[in-house]
Amino acid sequence: MNRDAVLQALQDKFREQILDYFDKSPARVYIEINPEALVPAASYIFKDLGARFHIASGVDARRHLEILYHFSIERLNLLISLRVKLERENPRVDSLARIIKGANWIEREIYELLGIEFTGHPDLRRLLLADEWPEGVYPLRRDYKEWDKNAIRDRGV
Amino acid sequence: MSVTMRALLNSPWVFHLATGSCNNCDIEILDCLTPRFDIERFGMKLAGSIRHADVLLVTGSCNRKSMVRVKDIYNEHVPKPCVVVAVGECAMSRGMFVHSYNCPLPLDSYIPVDVYIPGCPPKPEAIMAGVVKLIAKLKETL
Repeated sequence: MNRDAVLQALQDKFREQILDYFDKSPARVYIEINPEALVPAASYIFKDLGARFHIASGVDARRHLEILYHFSIERLNLLISLRVKLERENPRVDSLARIIKGANWIEREIYELLGIEFTGHPDLRRLLLADEWPEGVYPLRRDYKEWDKNAIRDRGV
Repeated sequence: MSVTMRALLNSPWVFHLATGSCNNCDIEILDCLTPRFDIERFGMKLAGSIRHADVLLVTGSCNRKSMVRVKDIYNEHVPKPCVVVAVGECAMSRGMFVHSYNCPLPLDSYIPVDVYIPGCPPKPEAIMAGVVKLIAKLKETL
């Protein structure tokens, strides 16, 4: 299948679930998908289209939180970014770690840094933050406030 | 000044400790060991283990997780007397990471620092100048 056939098949399969489709360049496509359909869509791209899962990136976009799952199909030189938008209060999305092993740690990292819950994750613990870091404080949220009273934020000059 | 310190100054062995740096300082430190700069003519060489070292050379922004290890290394593992050298802007004042959630305090609020070598990264000449000045100053106190 060439590029157009792959993207057409993807759109046909998830027609009701695709909220936005942005063909940015020959090598890059952004697809915003309904969070309920994330697992079937990612599984279709990963297993049926033979894509490689690169990484997921979580963003605090002020009005909502969003996660971009980046897949690449190397024989087509195509990067597909699946985007899900989540509301700021109690953000929650289905985990991909059951179908893509490589998504395990990045979901743990998004969980601790942005506070997004991944339902169905096999081992949702914190990954990188220090042990004394308080629960419920997410450093990459825009409303993050300094919690450490001992921190020094000048250079002493 | 003790006999150990007098012996130490003739050939200080350096342990290179990177606490989450971007590796630019680390590259410049390794550059000091190349034939062009050849820091071994002052008797300095990199020690493979912290237990063989006299100088603790710290690079990198001091983040919450690595500083636990740095404190542990300084308090438990380094044979005393030990001289601490902070190389680069990050180890001195955290550089661009001064407002980072993960870098609450500079290095000298965790362990006592003897020499600060500024720069981002410092040139090998600056690192050698700093260390030579340190040796000269310690020799005065002998």
